[in-house]
Amino acid sequence: MICSIIPPYMLKRLAAQDAPRFSAVRRAAKEALLHVKTVQAARTAPAPVTPPGLRQVQPAPPDRSVYDAKSAESLPGVLVRKEGEAPVGDPAADEAYDGLGHTHSLYADVFGRNSIDGQGMPLNATVHFGKLYDNAFWDGQQMVFGDGDGEIFERFTRSLSVIGHELAHGVTQFSAGLAYRNQAGAINESISDVFGALVEQYFRKQSTADASWLIGEDLFTSQVEGTALRSMKAPGTAYDDDVLGKDPQPDSMDAYVRTSADNGGVHINSGIPNRAFCLVAQAIGGNAWEAPGQIWYETLTGGSLPPTATFSVFAKATAASARELFGDGSAEHDAVREAWETVKVKH
Amino acid sequence: MKITVERSGGIAALTRTWTVQATTSSDKSHWQPIVEACPWDAVPDSRQVSDGQPDRFMYSIRAGQRRATLPERAVTGPWRVLVETTRAAAEQTPRNGTATGIRS
Ligand SMILES: [Zn+2]
Repeated sequence: MICSIIPPYMLKRLAAQDAPRFSAVRRAAKEALLHVKTVQAARTAPAPVTPPGLRQVQPAPPDRSVYDAKSAESLPGVLVRKEGEAPVGDPAADEAYDGLGHTHSLYADVFGRNSIDGQGMPLNATVHFGKLYDNAFWDGQQMVFGDGDGEIFERFTRSLSVIGHELAHGVTQFSAGLAYRNQAGAINESISDVFGALVEQYFRKQSTADASWLIGEDLFTSQVEGTALRSMKAPGTAYDDDVLGKDPQPDSMDAYVRTSADNGGVHINSGIPNRAFCLVAQAIGGNAWEAPGQIWYETLTGGSLPPTATFSVFAKATAASARELFGDGSAEHDAVREAWETVKVKH
Repeated sequence: MKITVERSGGIAALTRTWTVQATTSSDKSHWQPIVEACPWDAVPDSRQVSDGQPDRFMYSIRAGQRRATLPERAVTGPWRVLVETTRAAAEQTPRNGTATGIRS
């Protein structure tokens, strides 16, 4: 058997490569796929064998640039730190630089993805965007971070899960292209929370049991009664504050929120698929960026998830990915089906 | 005239609301031109104004009987002036701010 150490999800992707220069890899990957009966067999293969040409598709190192908007709202601003340069002493700029690197590492090391677009896209970020700006976002090409108002929010670069969340919007944009409205939008948001959490867990080397499963820890000032923006483990419990109100996230379809605000509640109902992912990770155990992350990553990038997917379509797609990667009735497959059962999404 | 600016969305998805009441005639003469300067009739349908960028803010603005829903990137020119002036005024006078408008 050739290249049996390469996980099937990666083989599938290699087999699907279109560019002529990948043809050798594609052929090797297809042959390997034919031979791989189970992932267990792949996992227990004695020694890594690199198929010819695999190095060609190995992810490139990150190519980061951090800019300073100097409280204006025009992008990208003034370049303050380029790839390989020493820290500049501005915490926002240095946190952004490090966060982009940690995010790049997860995709490169774990999923074999060459940057956000899969094609080695440079990673650009702008810090100090606007005055007391209470947000961070991905604008389709780059990251943007505000300083926070100092009353509710600290600067947004403080949270690695938030940096990972925003860059995951880029990955979604370049893969499944999920719409940003209603259930597809909530899946889009959830994907960002899932990979944001994985970036943080992978950097901290935290297992599922050790991880907080919180998104945006360290963002609230000490004046706020809350620990984070969202809790994937227990949606609806991240904050309860006299000014901000209570975390509105539902933890199952029983509490699904119908609203026209927030693009149809994309940041609210994302609690449901968020919890499903956490339940899968808890059932499988170990590190969430391994089997659980692979199942979600394969679902996102495998090419069969429609941009307007509902929760139910997404649930079925994750179960199909789990079955493909780990086998029908495998522990992983069962974990996925049980998780959607618990959050009451039809699958 | 009551002016309300509601900001939703953002990665945190926390809705914040800033409200001012223009009751005295000098208040009204201050706010009238700021409100009138906005192109209230040229606002696209609120169901279609999402501008496609994840985690951006959405603004719902009300002044008297008029209302408009705008994505963050459309809050420029007179809209920006109205939003910023309302927020600043609401934050200066806590009794006019709603529960989510200010921290005391
Ligand atoms: Zn988001």
